[in-house]
Parts: sequence; C-alpha cells; structure tokens
Amino acid sequence: MSVIEMQPVTVAPEDRPMKLIEALKIVNAPPQQAAQHEDVFIVCGFTPLHLQTFLEAHLLLRSPDRRVRVNSGLYGDVAGNLERAAAAAPDAVAVVLEWPDFDPRLGVRTAGSAALSRDELRESIYSQMDRFQKIIDERLAETTLALSLPSLPARHSCIQQSWLADPVNATLRRCFADFSLWASERKNIRLLNADRLDQLSPPNARWDAGAELATGFPYHLNHTSILADLLSRLIRLPLPKKGLITDLDDTLWRGIVGEAGVDGISWTLDRHTHHHALYQQQLSVLAHAGVFVAVASKNDPSVIREAFARPDLLLDVNHIFPLEVSWGPKSVAVGRILQTWNVGPDSIVFVDDSPMELAEVQAAFPGIQCLLFPKNDPQACLGLLDRLRDLFGKRFISEEDALRTNSLRAQPALSTDFLETAEAEITFSAVKNSSDSRPFELINKTNQFNLNGRRFTDSEWLHYLQDPETHLLSATYRDKYGALGKIAVLGARQSHDKFFIDVWVMSCRAFSRRIEHQCLLRLFKAHGVDEISFDFRRTPRNNPIQEFFAGLVGENPEGPLTLTLAQFEQRCPRLFHTVKDG
Amino acid sequence: MNELEDRLIDCFQAVLPKIGREELRQVSMKSTSEWDSVVTVTLISLIEETFGVETQPGDIERLTSFKSIHDYLQRNKQL
Repeated sequence: MSVIEMQPVTVAPEDRPMKLIEALKIVNAPPQQAAQHEDVFIVCGFTPLHLQTFLEAHLLLRSPDRRVRVNSGLYGDVAGNLERAAAAAPDAVAVVLEWPDFDPRLGVRTAGSAALSRDELRESIYSQMDRFQKIIDERLAETTLALSLPSLPARHSCIQQSWLADPVNATLRRCFADFSLWASERKNIRLLNADRLDQLSPPNARWDAGAELATGFPYHLNHTSILADLLSRLIRLPLPKKGLITDLDDTLWRGIVGEAGVDGISWTLDRHTHHHALYQQQLSVLAHAGVFVAVASKNDPSVIREAFARPDLLLDVNHIFPLEVSWGPKSVAVGRILQTWNVGPDSIVFVDDSPMELAEVQAAFPGIQCLLFPKNDPQACLGLLDRLRDLFGKRFISEEDALRTNSLRAQPALSTDFLETAEAEITFSAVKNSSDSRPFELINKTNQFNLNGRRFTDSEWLHYLQDPETHLLSATYRDKYGALGKIAVLGARQSHDKFFIDVWVMSCRAFSRRIEHQCLLRLFKAHGVDEISFDFRRTPRNNPIQEFFAGLVGENPEGPLTLTLAQFEQRCPRLFHTVKDG
Repeated sequence: MNELEDRLIDCFQAVLPKIGREELRQVSMKSTSEWDSVVTVTLISLIEETFGVETQPGDIERLTSFKSIHDYLQRNKQL
C-alpha cells in the first residue's frame, strides 16, 4: 500500500521543500560519465546565492543524466544581466524579479527617499518594465525563459495604515498584471503561476529581512527551494501522462448504480455530491485535450449503458474509450485498456475510491500512478483535480490531440486487404519549422517506435533544427476512416551518398500501416542514396522498432546498423499509400 | 566524535567538498583558500537549518573556523 497516495496531494507533488544541505549534496555529487551539458542563466537583481544552488539541484533531479551549470550576473543590474544572459547563449534563462528591480525605492536596501507619488512611480516602473521587455524580445526571443514576477511585497515608506491599500499598491498590482499578460503571450516565456506559488509558499514566510540586509539575498530557505523547484519545472516541463482510467461508482458519480438505480446516483449541489460533477468536468477537459479516458468498473454493462444515457452527465460517453465493465478483477480490465491504447503503464493514471482496487491494480502494474478519489472530502477532491491538471497539463493543444481518441476508436483490423482498400494518404514535409511543436513533442514522448530513446531539451531541439547539416522529415497520415495527424518524425544527416538517421519516432497509433516503410522509401528515392545508416540503440521499450529492423535485415539489431537499398527493396512489403508533399 | 560534531562536519563537507572529513575539524577561513564570503554565508544558513539556531549579524564575523562554530553551537543550539 505504500506506493499508493491515499491522500491526494493538495499543494505539491513533493512532500516537503528540499533542504539546503540536500541541494548541496546533489550539486556536489560527481556527474555521470558522458553526461550532456546544460547551461542555465539566472537573471535577478539580488545576490542569487542559495537560489542558484537550489535551481541547479532541482534541475539535476529532473534530469540526472545531464551536467547542469547555473550561471548568474551582477548584483542590482537586471537589464545588464538580461544582456549578459543573451550573450552567454545558455540553454535556458530563469528571470526572477522583485520590486526593487523596477525601482530601488521599493526595497529595503535603499533609504533616504521621500514618500512615493503614484504618478512618479508609475512612470519609473513602467519605463523599467519596457526596458526588460525590449531586451527579452530583441535578444532572448529564441531562448526558453522561465519568469517569476515579484514574490515579495514592495517595501516603501508611506503614511497610510498597512491594511489600507494605497495608490502605490494599486499601481504595482497593475504593473504585475500587465507584465503577466505580456509574458503569457510570448511563446518562449513560461510564466510562473503566482497563485500556485502562494499555495506552496505562504507569502508571510518568504522574506528574510536579516539576510537581505546582511547579504543581499532576500528569501528564507523554504521559499527559495519552492521557487527553484517551480522554475525547474518551467524550464523542464514534465512530460504529460497519456491516459486516465476511472472507476464509476463513488468516483465518477456518487452512489452504487447497481443498487441505487440510475436515478439514485448523483453529482449535484443539493445532494452534496457536486465534487463528482467537478471531476466529470475535469475529465471532459482532459478528453478534449487529447487525453485518453477509459472506464474500469465492476458492474452490469446494461446498467452502465443506462447510466451513461443520463443527459445531465458532464462527461460525454463518446469521449470514453474503452468502457471496460465486468465483474472481473480491475487489473484485468486495466490490462485490456492498455492493450487497446497501446501505451505503457507509466503513462497512465488510475483513479478509484477503493484503496483495495488501487492496490490490486498497482500490484499488477507498478508503473501506473494510482490516485484515491476522496469521495467524502470535497477539499481533497479539489486537490486531486489540481493534481490531474499537473499530471496531464500541456502548454498548447495540437491538431493531433483533437484527433487522438477518434483515431483509436476507428482502429480496424489491419490486414493487407484492409490496407489496400483504406485509401491511405501520407503527406511528407521536409520543412524545419521551429514554431511547429509537434515533432518535438512526438520525439520526447514516444517510447515504442523510437530509434534510440534520445530526448531533447527545447534549446537542443532548436539547435538541431538550426544545424544546416540536419534534415527533418515528418509524415502526416489519413485514410478513409479518419485522420491521425502528424505521426512520424525522422531526423537525419547526409554525407555524400549516405544518409545517417539519428532520430526516428512514430506514434503507436500509426503502427501496422507500413508508414515506416514508406518513410524509408521516401528517403531512398528523394535523396538518391544507396545506403541508410541508423543510430539504433536498444531501450527497454523500443521492441516495435527492433522487430521492424529484424524484418528488414533478417536479425535483431544490437546497435547502429546500415540498410542498403537492395536489402530494403527485397524485403519491403507492398505499399498502398498515396504519397503527397506538404 | 559526538553527534553535534558529526552533523557539523556534514555541513562543512557540503560547502567545502574537496576537503576530507578528518581535515575539516582543523579548517579556518584564514587557513583555507576555498573558504570565501559565499562559503561563510552558505555555512551560516546550513547551521541555522541543521541545528535550529538563529545567528545574529554580529556572529558572522566570529564564526570563522570549525572550532569557533563548534563552540558557538555548544553554547546556543536547541536540543
């Protein structure tokens, strides 16, 4: 039972903030051999001190296979530090602003000024804000930038009582809102959610006045650790989970439908079961964003069909696939769902109100994240919804996200006869477009048909695209049953008459359609090469691509391999796609 | 070695990782080139975090060796 979270976390995935001594131990630990370097630059106006240590430690925890170096600039010079960050060309920049960076009179290390007037202050802080924004737009537009706006209150001498908001406070709030809006519209900027920070780090326990006056570092250690943790999440956005399997009775709705009947189950305010409605609503939002949603329920299928016919249900039954309703063990139902989805357990979340069911599923699939639905605790239920948002969240919804569930449902048996009549169409594109996030997403989340398991950071991907020697080929698929969207990406380098492929992934939804063969045929023909080399490496999950290569070269590959055009032509099955250029 | 000394050595090792545990008991700001102002500030924060003490600004100038910090903690730490 220890692996199951009996209480949904209401604040953070971690139990507690990291201690400084733990952060130093992580930072001082010898790096792994052959680890890739990653440079991050902290831009702030205070002495970065422990924030630098905590940020490095949290980044290392997120990617233990990398060496992380966090650099910083000069005290009290945010604009100059933004310029320095741009000149250093790091992989990512963390910008941590406090009010004295906008006007030194808003901090405690400057004294001697008279009471501030609203107009004077507005001019001063907006002029500084414009300056920061201009440098970011002109010098850092291509760099991933994690931004934290002031997390400490402004300190200024004024006449009003502390509980009375004065015009200066109002001006600062407006500046904060304007800066937030500006930042949230920039693709390269990931703005820290101030509400989330407030939940995790109480505002009145953040400021260490003694330390700020003595050393120029303004934060208590707990706040520093939490801030660094969130900045590291912004820099390394966690990969979202792919699917959610939910129980029904006392989870999707309140009540046991088999006993209470279809009219006896509820999710309404008047029956004090509204938190089930909020859960339904969250699942509906996830389903619209391309998350697979399935049901594993011990029930009579005919009763469940009747329940899903209720018009007031907030989750459309068409968004649920598959619906596994039987009296067998939940783990068996979950196993069937995973097979239908063709995804691994570690991409899945299972939600149930029964600790016993959670334990049974967890024992069968240790990789699944099992979460208890707290049916008697609406507050904890809201915490669960926040947790689901964090586990499945993504910045943007792509065209493929919208197609995903329908393409699963339309999955027919893929015999040769079927393929011949499917009217399949593949559109290839060789454009290296850094604003298209789909190839990056596909490479970083595909496990099964993946050449070598290589993952990219934002900046590594940008450099890969900008490298004049690299080629990118992406494939978009549709047939008469529907569209799958962009489902394959292949990255290669060409040298004379040889092609060297170092990146190749294909979505599991596109298996068994011979799209992978068409990709290679395209490369052989379009580039007129006789051989293609692959930087293949075995991973614990890439069996599908191992089997594909075994079919072409006659044996399971152990490492990098080369395929000749003659070998390919000899073993390539018949292909029926219409091929287009995009 | 008592528990206080053991935990204090952990703190010193975190900020001066290149110095062996045995040697750390002899270190001072004067005798150790790696011990700069950043090490002092980090060490003070570590000691506050580890031993639950709250140092005063004036203490920093006196806490310049393993021995002086050890003695300070024996006088002030919350057990």
